Amino acid sequence: MNLTKLALKNLACFIYETLKKAGIDAVLVGGACVSIYSKNRYQSFDLDFVTYEELKSIEEVLKPLGFLRTGRCFIHPECPYLLDFVNPPIAIGNEAVTEFKTMKTSFGSLQLLTPTDCVKDRLAAFFHWNDAQSLEQALLVAESQKMDLKDLKQWAKAEGHEDKLKRFLKDFKARS
Amino acid sequence: MLEYLFANKNVEKILMYLSLHGKAYAKQLSRQFDAPLDPIQKTLKKLEEGGLLVSFLEGKTRIFQWNPRYPFLAEIQAVAKKAYMFLPEKIQETQYSSLQRKRPRRTGKPL
Repeated sequence: MNLTKLALKNLACFIYETLKKAGIDAVLVGGACVSIYSKNRYQSFDLDFVTYEELKSIEEVLKPLGFLRTGRCFIHPECPYLLDFVNPPIAIGNEAVTEFKTMKTSFGSLQLLTPTDCVKDRLAAFFHWNDAQSLEQALLVAESQKMDLKDLKQWAKAEGHEDKLKRFLKDFKARS
Repeated sequence: MLEYLFANKNVEKILMYLSLHGKAYAKQLSRQFDAPLDPIQKTLKKLEEGGLLVSFLEGKTRIFQWNPRYPFLAEIQAVAKKAYMFLPEKIQETQYSSLQRKRPRRTGKPL
């Protein structure tokens, strides 16, 4: 497998399938989901996976592919993307995430955050740190995918950030 | 999920300090606890990798603080606060009270 030319989505599928074959379950989260859902209108170079598996077991699977471990991350000399294995659980604020989306490509399947959870994940960074880049990424996903608005509103209320959700919805409406 | 919390003795010190002061940097903690810098830096990194802390660069200093997005944050903060209350008063004063200036000081004013 030539990792140099693999697009982010295909690389994510390839890594997910490789881990799955070794009995390791993982979920793609973070900016890579934004790239996939926004059809690369935002380009991430980090592939953040959450897994309950020991890093040592992951290293045993990824090392033969040429990935080198540094802490919780894996880099490949010929691949522009960084693999980061984020400490579980998968949560967005106080809410545990238990349902995921599975997509299929010619490189295999991939388990990742649903579009609504991806928007929540970006909005959480906007809520807590006023990060304008995260707001923009949430908007990019919202423009490209169907969201569960009711769920989004309930979540923002529970997080105590209804005002900032209003800002997001206003921008979303203006751009639709 | 939580194994990073039980890595070493510096963890509880850092958590108790943050429960009082909100943010800290490695050198400051090393001075405060009269402990070597390297293990403090490693512990902060572990806590960050665990998701409990986040860090930002302010100038050349990496400042660590609670991660508001961490799902068990309130529970861990509560444990840290309670653990601090059980410390002998002398240790509370010597290791956890910060005499560092927190109020602003206008640029150009002599120290």
